[in-house]
Amino acid sequence: MKDFTIFWGCTIQTRFPFLEKSTRMVLDGFDLPYRDVDGFTCCPEKSLVNNIDHGLWVLTAARNIALLDKAGVDLVSPCTGCVSNLATVNGELHSDNKEKIKVNSILKEIGLEFKGKNKLRHLVPFFHDEVGIPAIKNKIVKPFHGMRIALHYGCHMIRPSHALKNDDPLDPKKFDNLIRAMGAESVQYMTKLLCCGQGLDRVDQHENALHFARLKLKELKSLKIDAMALCCPSCYLQFDNNQFLMEKEGEKFGIPILYFTELLGLAMGHKPEDLGVDSHRVEATDFLEKWQRLNGEFARTDELNRQLEEGFGIAQH
Amino acid sequence: MESLNIKLLEVCSKCGACYHICPSCLNLNEGYDPRAVIKDILAGQYEKWLSHKSIWQCLECHHCLEICFQHYGFENAMAAMRTLASKKGLAPTQVKRGWDMFIKTSRLGEPAAPARKKLGLPEAAKSGAEDFKKILKIYQERKESGVRSQKSE
Repeated sequence: MKDFTIFWGCTIQTRFPFLEKSTRMVLDGFDLPYRDVDGFTCCPEKSLVNNIDHGLWVLTAARNIALLDKAGVDLVSPCTGCVSNLATVNGELHSDNKEKIKVNSILKEIGLEFKGKNKLRHLVPFFHDEVGIPAIKNKIVKPFHGMRIALHYGCHMIRPSHALKNDDPLDPKKFDNLIRAMGAESVQYMTKLLCCGQGLDRVDQHENALHFARLKLKELKSLKIDAMALCCPSCYLQFDNNQFLMEKEGEKFGIPILYFTELLGLAMGHKPEDLGVDSHRVEATDFLEKWQRLNGEFARTDELNRQLEEGFGIAQH
Repeated sequence: MESLNIKLLEVCSKCGACYHICPSCLNLNEGYDPRAVIKDILAGQYEKWLSHKSIWQCLECHHCLEICFQHYGFENAMAAMRTLASKKGLAPTQVKRGWDMFIKTSRLGEPAAPARKKLGLPEAAKSGAEDFKKILKIYQERKESGVRSQKSE
């Protein structure tokens, strides 16, 4: 596997450093060849920078990508927004030579050149395609058998597909496959692909953001799921923080929000507190208790099966 | 409105299929309908939308882009309106604040050092703020001189 760097992005490092912790723990657990690279800035955030100045959006992203060219590493990110933005600019510059020349004439001044030769991938498709389901299954010691988990892909993990090219943009499968590889049921639901709506919280429309969070949380509550899984800091903010705010005002959902890396880390045998699961605003206590209990029950069943098989073995002789 | 492709937008105004997949169109109770905005853009009467909160309700989820047979969708029209609104100083306060922070620091926040220590995380990689400042300056100078030469023509 080619060396890669992790593009953490602003939100994880500023607001949710525990998500960096669980990501590093699972990467280390698989002994993957990653290293930190100095010099990244904001990806930059499309809905903010591109809306105001397209040229600067392209230039800033191109500079981040040029750092990869210089270091000779691929990029993997646990943030959907970062990957989507970088991949979109990468695609734009590959198809617009005039713009590429313009961008490079500026990057030259700081000793960089945009080539865009390295892969830009989100952590979920990276685990699915590069690490692979069999290798993941091999690492799992405490599966989520019997647990009902509802996935939230996050729009920018899969769209725009012309730039990301990593899954079906309207019927994605890879995250589902990974959750199933960990032993859980991936619960299918009506609003599965609905945008989280967090963007509205960044344009002075907090009530509308809550409205979007509610749409999904209400459906999931009615389906009695054990947890929602996602892998985007913005979606995490929407469903953990905004759910907490609504619960404080009396609306009850009780849906723990688990990051892909936290679930994988738990299944690999790490303690919840080491992974930072205790830093969540919506507590995951019920989820963890049920999982521990079911694991105990399944372990007893496995042991019983083993004894029975042994017994039959003896009986045959 | 030079960044918009009017030809594509004309076809777009006769189609509107993405209305039925757009999360904001389907779910915002107060009503959100880019078809109305697009009609006004084509009629040259878009001014009123620049101060309207509708143009900030596009979530940029790219659903419309994915199903559009022109690969264009609502999002390009709405993004163009937001750019114009920003130029006129009509962007929401949070957007202005985020933009200022980005221009000043090259990021939307700095790594939380005490929390990192508590979690046992390594020191965060260095930011590219210095180099960003340099290229930002060149970019802005070039943009300025571009605007000046356009005006003198």
